Amino acid sequence: MQLIDLTGRAQDRWAHVGDEDPIPAEGPVIVPAARLFEVAEGRETGIHVGNDTDPEDLVPLFDRLQLVSVAFPSFADGRGFSIGRKLRALGFDGTLRASGPVIADQFAYLIACGFDEVCIPDALAERQPPEQWEAARRLISAGYQRGLGAGRSILDARTGR
Amino acid sequence: MAKAFAPIVITANDLVEGDSVFLGPEGWTRDIRMARVARTAEEATALDASGAQGETQNLVVGPYRVEVSLETGAPVPVLRREQIRASGVPTIPVGPAAIEAAREAA
Amino acid sequence: MYRYDEFDHRFVQERVAEFRSQVTRRLDGSLNENEFKPLRLMNGLYLQLHAYMLRVAIPYGTLDSARMRMLAHIAEKWDRGYGHFTTRQNIQFNWPKLSDVPDILDALASVEMHAIQTSGNCIRNTTSDPYAGVAADEVEDPRITAELIRQWSSLHPEFTFLGRKFKIAVTGSAEDRTALKVHDIGIQIVRNTAGETGYRVLVGGGLGRTPMIAKELRAFLPREDLLPYLEAALRVYNLHGRRDNKYKARIKILVHEIGIEEYARQVEAEFAALDRDAIAAPVEEVARIAAYFAPPKLAARPAESTAFERARQVDPGFAAWASQNTFPHRVPGYVAATISLKPIGGAPGDATAEQMRAMADLAEKYSRDELRVTHEQNVVLPHVALDDLHSVYRGLAGVGLDAPNKGLVTDIVACPGLDYCALATARSIPVAQNIARRFGSTARQKEIGPLSIKISGCINACGHHHVGHIGILGLDKAGVESYQITLGGDATETAALGDRTGPGFGYDEVADVIEKLVDRYIELREVPQETFLQTYRRVGMEPFKEAIYATH
Ligand code: SF4
Repeated sequence: MQLIDLTGRAQDRWAHVGDEDPIPAEGPVIVPAARLFEVAEGRETGIHVGNDTDPEDLVPLFDRLQLVSVAFPSFADGRGFSIGRKLRALGFDGTLRASGPVIADQFAYLIACGFDEVCIPDALAERQPPEQWEAARRLISAGYQRGLGAGRSILDARTGR
Repeated sequence: MAKAFAPIVITANDLVEGDSVFLGPEGWTRDIRMARVARTAEEATALDASGAQGETQNLVVGPYRVEVSLETGAPVPVLRREQIRASGVPTIPVGPAAIEAAREAA
Repeated sequence: MYRYDEFDHRFVQERVAEFRSQVTRRLDGSLNENEFKPLRLMNGLYLQLHAYMLRVAIPYGTLDSARMRMLAHIAEKWDRGYGHFTTRQNIQFNWPKLSDVPDILDALASVEMHAIQTSGNCIRNTTSDPYAGVAADEVEDPRITAELIRQWSSLHPEFTFLGRKFKIAVTGSAEDRTALKVHDIGIQIVRNTAGETGYRVLVGGGLGRTPMIAKELRAFLPREDLLPYLEAALRVYNLHGRRDNKYKARIKILVHEIGIEEYARQVEAEFAALDRDAIAAPVEEVARIAAYFAPPKLAARPAESTAFERARQVDPGFAAWASQNTFPHRVPGYVAATISLKPIGGAPGDATAEQMRAMADLAEKYSRDELRVTHEQNVVLPHVALDDLHSVYRGLAGVGLDAPNKGLVTDIVACPGLDYCALATARSIPVAQNIARRFGSTARQKEIGPLSIKISGCINACGHHHVGHIGILGLDKAGVESYQITLGGDATETAALGDRTGPGFGYDEVADVIEKLVDRYIELREVPQETFLQTYRRVGMEPFKEAIYATH
């Protein structure tokens, strides 16, 4: 997997732990939501959630989480966009990561929905290097919607807000 | 007993032009009469592979098999849909030509 | 009519640049077909049987002459000299090359048009009433709301990868000319008892494999809550709509499976949690859009026109056309004139570049530079003075657009079907042509009265066959085209889905079957004014069934 954020290709400092893997003794770690209890409090912690998760269920965990990774099983399955927006609306202010085969052309939408970074399969990263992500992100300078976390709203610009 | 293998050709749409093309002996052709015909399952599998190559080389989109009849010698699709596709045009006059046709009929 | 400001211009230009980059990356292999497909679809580009097809948005069906002329130019320069107006008030070009599409989009952008979201699993072009600003029973011009939704839905970051396509229609009148009840969301502008203008919101209508009539989600929504409420409604759908089966992914299935009450409860909960002020359009913005749809200043004219009366006396063709193809205007002395794109034997909804230019010229000269596309695949000149009507008619007759058949048996809606469409199971255009030829005589059509025939070439129902008074669905039965007939469908405020008559008919039998149905209706009707639909509702299926299945 390759990590891409607003600065381009980034180093992933987080250890990804699957359902069966042992949890490393130290360092930042992303675990499946169900294994959160296995991680000591106070440690840098992230959870990975499926896109059928109800964001409201995560609210009690916000204090413990520095990162939430939302699964995108395919770029065409857009549930994660709504999950990202809801998590931000509910007050999550840690790192929001989209994990899965999302594509460069979705980068701007992901950021608008509150995501900070994407973690994509290697083969995809090879075809779509960070420059393409950066270019795709910059292509649309402003959208019509209001109330999004990032980006400029045309409606606000028009009325001088 | 296994059913007799129905002959097939490989078709796809040209990536740039979008029109129907058929896998011929030397690359893709617009003319189904020039298409390579697979008469056995093995030949068909080999053709599938060449068809898939056309897709990975970004020449065509969505290659698939079309069953053909060889009664007249040249391959003719069995299904109406594929007959219409192979013809390259709708079954009725369209556009400015259709208006001309209607004027003449009147 | 709405005009782009600098922001709209930049938005569309950036979108074209984005698509140009996507096409380049597709051709060099950075994007594979699997990834490119949803991106091209979101720019209206399909791959059909014979070629790519580009669907251009005509927001809420409104056009001016410059835009219509550009469509003609595109048809000539990059296509084969014609285009096809669709049941979603859009236009389709059937023969563009992938490499030309960015240039076509540039040309469209120069006249404030685009192809954004005319396909794909996103919010599609919002449709509206072709008589907006004309109809006397209108609460408010629905295009103000439709334009607001057009902007809000354009590249909405959260709702661009939905489970399935999402269609919204807006009407400002109680008499529905938008097929509101077969949309994912239907919005009717209403006034509440306090006299405030707001919205009645319907949800979960749709055609296709599982046709359904929409249900009421909200009886009255204050107008300032429109966009936050739509966000809530779409979010519940995006999160909970089915993703496991393409045929069950529309919102109608979600609403059906969890029930309208539960869906409404979830939407209201989501809505209550939203920061509405942060999402709603500012009042200044709504006012800015509304100003573009201020009614044109039509000079007062006498309700009767001597020029019109005289022309009717001397030109019977005109008299027939004028009585059939006009709609009353709220301003005396004016009418809205329907240009039928259904000449006998033509392809329903098709127009050549020459015809488009003729329509543009007439709009410029006689209709305040405005045209509307209807979901019946016709074009309307909304503001024509009675005094000018004969000139309009002669202009139309010169290019073969004078068919006096609006709303009659030959005003057939038909999707492209197997002549073009990659998803089709049977042809629809030639079926429409055969029926139209059968009923070619104007006198016979008049005698039959209002009758809508709608034909789809597959279960996807782009031809809206479920809501045709007579619906025809083309299927494939073991390699042979077979046509299923439905009766009693209705797309208006009394919406109903047609009932199947029984087993389907062969391609060559359809015109005969339709004729038998029509003959039976004529026998059955109590008075000539009783329409086909009224008769069907009174007598039911049996006598019609008997007419087409009885062995003689
Ligand atoms: S109804 Fe079917 S055949 Fe007709 S245009 Fe739609 S998808 Fe194509």
